[in-house]
Amino acid sequence: MAEEGAGRQLLSEAAAVEVLAYLVTAARTQIDEAAEYAPLRLMTAAQKLADSISADASAPVRALIAAIATMPVTAVPRSDRDAYVARVDEICVAAADCLLAVNPPDSPL
Amino acid sequence: MNTVLYEALRARRVTRNMTPEPVDSSHLDLVVQAARYAPNAGNRRLQTIVPVADQRMLQLLRQVSPGMVARPMAAVVICIDTARAVDFGFDPHAPGLFIDVGTAAATMLLAAQAVGLASCPVTSFSRAAVARLLALGPGQDPRLIICLGHAAADQPPAMDASHQPAHA
Ligand SMILES: Cc1cc2nc3c(=O)[nH]c(=O)nc-3n(C[C@H](O)[C@H](O)[C@H](O)COP(=O)(O)O)c2cc1C
Repeated sequence: MAEEGAGRQLLSEAAAVEVLAYLVTAARTQIDEAAEYAPLRLMTAAQKLADSISADASAPVRALIAAIATMPVTAVPRSDRDAYVARVDEICVAAADCLLAVNPPDSPL
Repeated sequence: MNTVLYEALRARRVTRNMTPEPVDSSHLDLVVQAARYAPNAGNRRLQTIVPVADQRMLQLLRQVSPGMVARPMAAVVICIDTARAVDFGFDPHAPGLFIDVGTAAATMLLAAQAVGLASCPVTSFSRAAVARLLALGPGQDPRLIICLGHAAADQPPAMDASHQPAHA
């Protein structure tokens, strides 16, 4: 298992460009799309990034990746908005846990 | 009643997870040809159908198409031929041009079903980026991509059907 730490390099240039292209093209499609697609697009961007870094990620990052993967690629805040919000909140908490783990109190600022 | 036809349109569902099995080029041709059988306002045919079978190009298209969840093994891009539309005196944003994209898409989706291909229409893509990737001329406006392939066993859940179409 790879070592933990905020300074590790996980992303190839090709994978980074894929996420960049997704983000800028999603900015464009969002202008014409239903507003409910905004969180879907951001979550998909997170999933693409997660897929690209999962092979070499440390344990805490893997935990975050696993949390992100729980969101179905078609989920939108439509009929069961409360459940959707709860799910995104859980992933946000997982992100906070991951941040704490990869930036321990004694790490350089 | 033509139950085979009715069953085909009942059974067609979008596929957002496709296997790496290739799409037979004759099947892709049949899907493309089907656009000719779609009803089209005034029979003016102001749409251009661009088939894509090159795997590198399919990957690139997917990277500028946030709505393209599947990894298609072939695709068909429906463009509005805005240059010819303007020659006919159309405003390039005239609704009829877009309705014709819809009828062509619906017909090709059923043709895909007929040849045993899974499909998914996609409009959530950057039209500017798709035009650049496909080196489309300035008069060609890509409006809808039909992803084609073979359905994987596991599919993501369908989009939530919050309400069914209204009937008068
Ligand atoms: C004009 C149009 C655009 C669509 N765009 C997308 C898209 O960008 N991505 C996608 O996954 N599905 C897209 N779809 C598919 C719809 O989400 C799908 O048809 C709907 O959820 C109902 O599913 P069904 O066709 O299996 O009944 C589109 C459908 C239409 C008619």
